[in-house]
Amino acid sequence: MHNSLNRYTRGWYFVLPGLIAMLLIVVFPLAIAFRFSLHDVFLYDFGNQWFVGLENYAYALSDPLFINSVRVTALFTLANTLGCLVVGMLVAFLLSGKRIRFKAGWMALFLMPFVMTPVIVGITWRLFMWEPDFGVINQVLGFFGVSGPYWLTDRSTALFATALTNAWHLTPMAILVFYAALTTIPDELYEAARVDGAGPFQTLWHVVLPMIRAHILFVSIIIMTSAFREFDMVFTMTGGGPGRSTTVLSILAYNRGIANQDMGMANTIAFTMFMIMAVVAWLYIKVYKVNKEASQ
Amino acid sequence: MNDRQKSRLLLGGQYAGLSLWLVVALLPPVVLLAAAFNETAMFRSPLALLTMQDFTLNNFAVAFSAGDFWFFFRNSLFISVAAVIISVVVCVPMAYGLTKLRPKVRSSLSFAVLAMRFLPHVVLALPLFLIFVNLGLSGSRIGLLLAHLSIHIPFATWMMVGFFENVPKEMEEAAIVDGCSPWRLFWSISLPVVRPGLNALAILVFIMSWNEYLFALFLAGSDAQPLTVGITRFMGGVEAGAQYGVIAAYASLIVLPVIIFALLANRYIVSGMTAGAVKG
Repeated sequence: MHNSLNRYTRGWYFVLPGLIAMLLIVVFPLAIAFRFSLHDVFLYDFGNQWFVGLENYAYALSDPLFINSVRVTALFTLANTLGCLVVGMLVAFLLSGKRIRFKAGWMALFLMPFVMTPVIVGITWRLFMWEPDFGVINQVLGFFGVSGPYWLTDRSTALFATALTNAWHLTPMAILVFYAALTTIPDELYEAARVDGAGPFQTLWHVVLPMIRAHILFVSIIIMTSAFREFDMVFTMTGGGPGRSTTVLSILAYNRGIANQDMGMANTIAFTMFMIMAVVAWLYIKVYKVNKEASQ
Repeated sequence: MNDRQKSRLLLGGQYAGLSLWLVVALLPPVVLLAAAFNETAMFRSPLALLTMQDFTLNNFAVAFSAGDFWFFFRNSLFISVAAVIISVVVCVPMAYGLTKLRPKVRSSLSFAVLAMRFLPHVVLALPLFLIFVNLGLSGSRIGLLLAHLSIHIPFATWMMVGFFENVPKEMEEAAIVDGCSPWRLFWSISLPVVRPGLNALAILVFIMSWNEYLFALFLAGSDAQPLTVGITRFMGGVEAGAQYGVIAAYASLIVLPVIIFALLANRYIVSGMTAGAVKG
């Protein structure tokens, strides 16, 4: 029956328009990006292109600025992923408590950081949160007798501050997926854990986490990919500075392509980012399948 | 301490934890709003602004007039609404069709869609810049709209697949036995079941387009600039002494629609974001 259903429903007719659209506006530009990455080509001078093979890639790998951006992006992504997973899990666990009331209301308010325009998030945190003299963070620190640093203009703190802001923006995504996952866990399991004398954190670690492995994987991948490509927020907060301390790969590609007008190099950086993400997507599918088979 | 006290303490702890996160989540937007309604937002603690001593609506008046608000607003609105309509028309059938393909074909196509959903936006913005110059689309709303769709189509398709998978197979098989045509099977049997998914798709695509900045920076020229570019241009005046209050007012106006969505339609945002969570 399943096979006849497939044949009968004419799936391809429904897929085709979207597939053609994707080929035209996603795959074709990707191909152009790859082509550019093999050429020396400059902004506003697209008529002159020299084929250089993989030279741009070789240059990037020996370029300290590129290596620096790889490091910055890796730290930024890692901090975001860990922060969102831990905080998201804790908040979702608290919210899923049986006796907590107005769950939908809490969730609606928790969504705010996520729906807020990233550019506005950047502006808000820059002007009102991280601002060294009057900003909320340093005011609160000052209340405890600590004098906070010049967060966004200090090389040693700027990356931390931007990563934390981005994690603030992405955490709701982790909360809502984890919360949805937790509500599928039957009450009997919590009950059994309680009878066995497990406290809340033991319950979380030994009972809950193993049951929602697939969701943890999903949240990790979503947060990772979002943080990896982040541009808007970092760009409005620091513009990649001070120095190069927050120049994530997206900003480096922008600087190379628009500011330096070196489109060949910009596309090389961007296409490298794409390849990294393609590998991540492939790994995700693999791990997901293994995980699915293991849990069956 | 007896069991009852213990359990009350635990509940109190839970509420305390949730409240703490609520303060962290809401403080920045609340401070932004407070600054927007204050006469002198600069050189004052944002926490002091919450007392609303110098209440004023003047910042909004300045934002509307000096910030060229309606010009950017029209661009943002056009692109967001058009993106929603086209995404629904293209992605809903595509997601439906994907669930009806042979498993092998389906999983390789799904992988392609997933890989595109994770694309760094900058890898599309750079080549689209050149393509649009060649097509005469650079600096046009249509070009910017196409760029947005390159993100929305993989995202929305992936999400809708999650909804179509929940349509009961028995329902469709029964409809086929009754002689239902392929088109009616989609339109009258499956589509009504995924109705909440359509709402989720529309809201999320609108929010994504409304919030978009990177493509606009690369591709909008001067005629198609949306609000996100409008405010950063306005921000350029910060160093030149632009008032924080006016910037806050401008920013508040931009986030108002998405905040309203979050308050009134959070159910759909949640279901949309979790739709792709666990499937193959």
